[in-house]
Amino acid sequence: MAGTATVAQLVDWLHRFAASVAENQAYLTELDSAIGDADHGSNMTRGMNAVVEKAGDPSTVDALFRTVGMTLVSTVGGASGPLYGTFFLRIGTTAGAVGELDGAALSAALRAGLAGVIQRGNAEPGDKTMVDALTPALDALDAGLAAGDDLATAARAAADAAAKGRDATEPLVARKGRASYLGDRSAGHLDPGATSTALLFEALAAALAGAETA
Amino acid sequence: MIGIVVVSHSPALAEAAVALALQMTGDTRPRIAIAAGAGDGVIGTDAVRVAAAIDEVASPDGVLVFMDLGSAVLSTTMALEFRESTVEVRLSSAPFVEGIVAGVVLAAAGAGLDEADREAASAMTAKNAQLGSAGPPVEPPAAPPAAPEQAAAPATGEVVAEATIVNDVGLHARPASVIVASMAAFDASVTIADADDPKRAASASSLLALMGLALGKGTRLRISGTGPDAAAAVESVRAMTADGYGE
Repeated sequence: MAGTATVAQLVDWLHRFAASVAENQAYLTELDSAIGDADHGSNMTRGMNAVVEKAGDPSTVDALFRTVGMTLVSTVGGASGPLYGTFFLRIGTTAGAVGELDGAALSAALRAGLAGVIQRGNAEPGDKTMVDALTPALDALDAGLAAGDDLATAARAAADAAAKGRDATEPLVARKGRASYLGDRSAGHLDPGATSTALLFEALAAALAGAETA
Repeated sequence: MIGIVVVSHSPALAEAAVALALQMTGDTRPRIAIAAGAGDGVIGTDAVRVAAAIDEVASPDGVLVFMDLGSAVLSTTMALEFRESTVEVRLSSAPFVEGIVAGVVLAAAGAGLDEADREAASAMTAKNAQLGSAGPPVEPPAAPPAAPEQAAAPATGEVVAEATIVNDVGLHARPASVIVASMAAFDASVTIADADDPKRAASASSLLALMGLALGKGTRLRISGTGPDAAAAVESVRAMTADGYGE
């Protein structure tokens, strides 16, 4: 079957993302120290730890992501708070009060999240931001679903595309955020936001693939 | 009176900037709410706190928000979606410290949202002029500077007086704020100029433009006004100048 994402799997996604961010905290901060204010790793770890604490066992997708979004907004501190916060809040309002999402519904929710991030940060693809990982990830997810792949396979393709998008930020000159103050000197470094977004899709692929790939 | 919200990564920075601004107001103070830090001593901003701060000072006259940098702007735009109040909220593009000073003083003087926002946003212009750098020239928003020949022959209906600055440090921020606050009581448009160099002129209602003139001790001021209360307004400025602005 094409597959669905249940609320429990989505909670698992967030737990996996939290663990991954914590594991990569030093790496994310190192990336951010090169072109930003060296707080992305600690900010995201603090925020996602709070999410894990508060997520609980919600019965609907919108309730889950409302908690996630508001928690990040209030605990991250840096620009990632409103950006990831907007991403998850929009996912929740678009998904609605349902217990699971099929591929099309998950894609629509993630697309609304991307639109929210673009609106909030006023960023475009190529600005060396998380948008540069999010956009190819969602394009790959949609392409997989359109080709008839099941959700787990499409999510795997999305994670791979997010990683490629992350790698493609290295030569870019930042046009948004603290890194843009550096101008040309921001080139030659991976974008920390795109890097954490790649972790987010890696976690999604793992959660939807089931426990055996954990 | 408009409300003021100060959004900063750092509570200490926000509190100090507000304290600086409040030095320039009298007993009449606007409602000011600070949304700074992300809790637990974390340097950062929190959209939920910003929304609560906006709601705390919301009045029908509106709210003017000053932000430091980066995520402060993102959190504030997000707060506009969270807040419960429905009054007009304006996000100021002014530099943080100058903007807060101008916004607080003007709010205390009864300025509306448009005026306070415009005046705060002109802060860089005033600073550039003060430094004599290549920035755009100071343009007093309310009253154009009087032309030199008018000094000899006042325009019809114009009231003119002269006074000399006695304060040791000249017409600095606090005297300027005293003048601006006093203007709220009059229906008049008053211009203050250096009588020996009348091109150096600013509206008596424009805090940052007055400060930008950097008029020193001993400068002879040409105070001119038009409007129904011009005589009283000009006399008020003349008297407070002679008196050292209460210092």
